[in-house]
Amino acid sequence: MTWTHRERILAALNHEEPDRVPIDFGGAEFTSITLAGYEKLKKHMGVDEPTEVMSIIHTCAHPAETILERFGVDTRNVQPSAYEGGVDRWVDDNTYYDTFNVLWKRTEKAVDQHFLHQDGPFHGDKLTVEQVEEYDWPDGKNPGLVRGVRERVEHIKANGDHAVCLYIPGGVIHRGYAMRGFESYLKDLYKRPEALQRMMDKLCDFWCDNAVSMIEAAGPENVDIVYFGEDLGTQDSCMFDPDTIYNDYLKPRHRRMIETIKGMTNDKAKVCYHCCGSAYQFIPHLLEIGIDALNPVQVTAKNMEPERLKEAFGDRLTFWGGINTQEILPFGTPAEVAAETKRIIDILGKGGGYILNSVHNIQAEVPPENIVAMFETGVAHRYH
Amino acid sequence: MSIQEIYNAVMEYEEEDVAELVQAEVDAGTDVEEILNKGLIDALDVIGEKFSAGTLFVPEMLMAAEAVQAGLEILRPLLVNTGVKSAGTVILGTVKGDLHDIGKNLVGMMFEGAGFKLIDLGTDVDPEEFISAAQENAADLILLSGLLTTSMPEMEKAVAAIRDANQTRNLNVKTMVGGPPVNAEFAARIGADGYSADAPTAVDDARAFMAAGI
Repeated sequence: MTWTHRERILAALNHEEPDRVPIDFGGAEFTSITLAGYEKLKKHMGVDEPTEVMSIIHTCAHPAETILERFGVDTRNVQPSAYEGGVDRWVDDNTYYDTFNVLWKRTEKAVDQHFLHQDGPFHGDKLTVEQVEEYDWPDGKNPGLVRGVRERVEHIKANGDHAVCLYIPGGVIHRGYAMRGFESYLKDLYKRPEALQRMMDKLCDFWCDNAVSMIEAAGPENVDIVYFGEDLGTQDSCMFDPDTIYNDYLKPRHRRMIETIKGMTNDKAKVCYHCCGSAYQFIPHLLEIGIDALNPVQVTAKNMEPERLKEAFGDRLTFWGGINTQEILPFGTPAEVAAETKRIIDILGKGGGYILNSVHNIQAEVPPENIVAMFETGVAHRYH
Repeated sequence: MSIQEIYNAVMEYEEEDVAELVQAEVDAGTDVEEILNKGLIDALDVIGEKFSAGTLFVPEMLMAAEAVQAGLEILRPLLVNTGVKSAGTVILGTVKGDLHDIGKNLVGMMFEGAGFKLIDLGTDVDPEEFISAAQENAADLILLSGLLTTSMPEMEKAVAAIRDANQTRNLNVKTMVGGPPVNAEFAARIGADGYSADAPTAVDDARAFMAAGI
């Protein structure tokens, strides 16, 4: 049989082997390529279409359709448009306030041109329940967020049967770090859990409202994957205790988010959760609340060796990513990249359950030849 | 009231209790060096070991380091007056082109908690800034941090410049590197004197350098 892109992705997510490994590139803000890396890739591939920015904050590109076709990419991204009538505003080219009134800055001379959050509405001494309640929260059902979504999905459906990957940004941790400050948020988990949980609920409300209106706009029957997530791991450990802090405070909110997706789509949409770093100890919790796939599978982090992951969770979890961005993609030769890509497909893709992508966005210093080698290895792959 | 209570208050992340208990011990005339070593540093070392072993995590380390800070603020002027030597002087910063500071800040907190004099240069630090800060403060160690793979060449340049300054500009410092993309092999290749996998290990490694007379 001839496999469509969508069938290929769904087979992998259902733990079946399609014709070849399915491929993602640009399905979400964390599976794409930085703007600087993208310019080099376009030049190398002789593509001169203007660059479409996927995220200014993450400084990454929407890869052009010609590139996606060349690399046999099976996913197509759908994500919210700009909030309308909110407090977001640019101060200058390097300074931006987002919809949650968080101040983001970058330094022009920084190599990756990445924005980092610097200040937010709840930075400061003590967080209180009243402060959270009195804050003028943005509305997850803002009409701007869904502007163009229906048309985008119709375009995807009319131009080849790709898997629709609906990316819903935010959540209850990272946006919380930005609004409250990273260190304060982590200490509040112990010192002021009531106020912090109230903030998490407000963020969860926004996310769920946004997810509902996005899925409605896309048409629930058209949504193949909902992609979201926030980091729980560090390179060598967990950010916080998986069995107390995550279990008691964060998992109930993530559960509500996943139930929202599954409820809206009659359990049809698959959920891909993004978590950098060492996710290993969180995976049982994430499986319990219903995730289907994990991205980016940071194989260089602790306990994240592909063999270990496949052995422990391969029957229930699809792995999405896994091509080493910390060592081989930037510093290897194209032949080494191809060999590593093949190794990862062989381990993680056995019996399905694997979608090919780099670990997180491809960074600026990755040679275009290595990017091509990674995707061409995927395109040439055959299960039988 | 005892040094053990200070130790316990650090282990329970009770910042305000630590400050009160340290003040009470000082008022009672207890040796300040003993309060520092047995009450504060020993407790933070245990937290650090648990962090490195993966049984405690970032929030606990932050809270313990801040509890120790609260005690140190009371002890610092007294330590100067009584002539107690600091554990060493370290210059810390994230290398040029990299603005990430979460890991670096944790390292800084652990060094201060361990009784080192810390000069934190922040992020996006030029090699020359590291060198002049080390000269001005007669530093023992320069700690270089980076999150991005794109920072690694900058780290290499900074370490080379510092080694050069050791030869030609009357500097005598050791370099230690850390951050997610960095490992011992990389550290050895670029000529850094040390690599540490996490903040508590960095403190241990720095102590070893100090014990060996740098």
